[in-house]
Amino acid sequence: MEGLLAGNDDAIRALYGRFGRPVYSLGLRLLGTREAAEELTQDVFVMAWRKAARFDPSRGRLSTWLMTIAHNLAVDRLRRETGVTRPTLVLVDEVPDAPGVDEESLLIERDAAMRALEALTDTERRLIARAYFRGLTAREIAEADGIPLGTVKTRLRAAMIKVRKANAGKELM
Amino acid sequence: MNCAGIRDQLSEHALGILSVRDASAVDRHLQWCAACRKEAGDLQRATATLAFSAAPAEPPADLADRVVADVREVAGVRAAPHAPRRTRWATAAVVAGFVALSGLGWGAAMAGRAARFEERADVATRDQRTALEEFRRLVGTVEFSDPQDQVFIGRLAPAQGSGGGGAAMTLVSPSIIDMAIVMVNGVPPERWDTLPFTVHLTSPDGQRLKVGRIASLDSGGAETISQQFNDDLTGFDRVVVLDARGRVVMEGPLATKADVASPSP
Repeated sequence: MEGLLAGNDDAIRALYGRFGRPVYSLGLRLLGTREAAEELTQDVFVMAWRKAARFDPSRGRLSTWLMTIAHNLAVDRLRRETGVTRPTLVLVDEVPDAPGVDEESLLIERDAAMRALEALTDTERRLIARAYFRGLTAREIAEADGIPLGTVKTRLRAAMIKVRKANAGKELM
Repeated sequence: MNCAGIRDQLSEHALGILSVRDASAVDRHLQWCAACRKEAGDLQRATATLAFSAAPAEPPADLADRVVADVREVAGVRAAPHAPRRTRWATAAVVAGFVALSGLGWGAAMAGRAARFEERADVATRDQRTALEEFRRLVGTVEFSDPQDQVFIGRLAPAQGSGGGGAAMTLVSPSIIDMAIVMVNGVPPERWDTLPFTVHLTSPDGQRLKVGRIASLDSGGAETISQQFNDDLTGFDRVVVLDARGRVVMEGPLATKADVASPSP
């Protein structure tokens, strides 16, 4: 983090080496095009530099912090740009590429993600996908499905509790 | 909002799908409520887990170089943020000073409640010069905890064919949370059907940060909004208020750099 703050090449590359691919992958998933994913990745690391002084490792993992920045920026962009290519809602049938070298931590993270999703019912998975990967609000989902807002909120809460429990005590970084 | 109401929204907060207004209310609550903050942290970690479920994709080889160049550019043109931890008391002190003098009231800032009617009415009667003076007075009153705190104040002028005016103020600090307060007033009734307005801070390099949304105005065509930012507001030197169709209602530069007294904490 000190290196990042100073704009040190090696520190930036080290951080990118660890999180560049998942950030880019998340961007591609949310924004739908490689160009948008590349722009998002650049924006995320710039934002990380801006916020680096406020990152407190005692309060959370670096991966959580960085991926939250990535998600927030992507959803902001989704909401800002009408007509942006929307990704499909498929989650669990996406097959990962063959792993490369030195990707153990990424695989562990992905394994945790898949374990969390497996804990959900199909309905909950679709609901989480619409909220997290498409940035739809509870109200928008309720209106689209013709169900009460309270029902959507309750289901989102239940799904999030399952996701949390699936990886409870298995914090990695 | 109480803890039960906040917790009701924490899942949506963690998923990033709350409205700006609701998210701000949750953020303000989390600043002082440790129990809800823990719950929010758990949900945030769970949400971050989801990020890794995206199918791995290989970024182009030159993206690393572009990322390094971007970070070096912003690190080079701006002094690096300072390391001191942002302390809650400092944030609270500044927030208290801001809201007490901006007519919002402590309750509005810390619990998301609407400001008291008489305070709103009071705000409505101020012209933009008075608002500007109010901000200036505020700067001399708030106990700034960091000698490097900076306050920027500016007047908002109506776009051609529009009416009303306003004032804005930002606090940029290396050690407490950055804030913006924007007051609009005197917006003529014929513009009210173009609500909601959105208020943004902009920077010369084209970046834009949303301060908030003005959904309604009081009888004086006035409203005050405030926002705390995790982003560094350094370089955001202009305020733009847009109507529902994206047309400029009023805008102005934050060109006045106020002198900030720095009493000992």
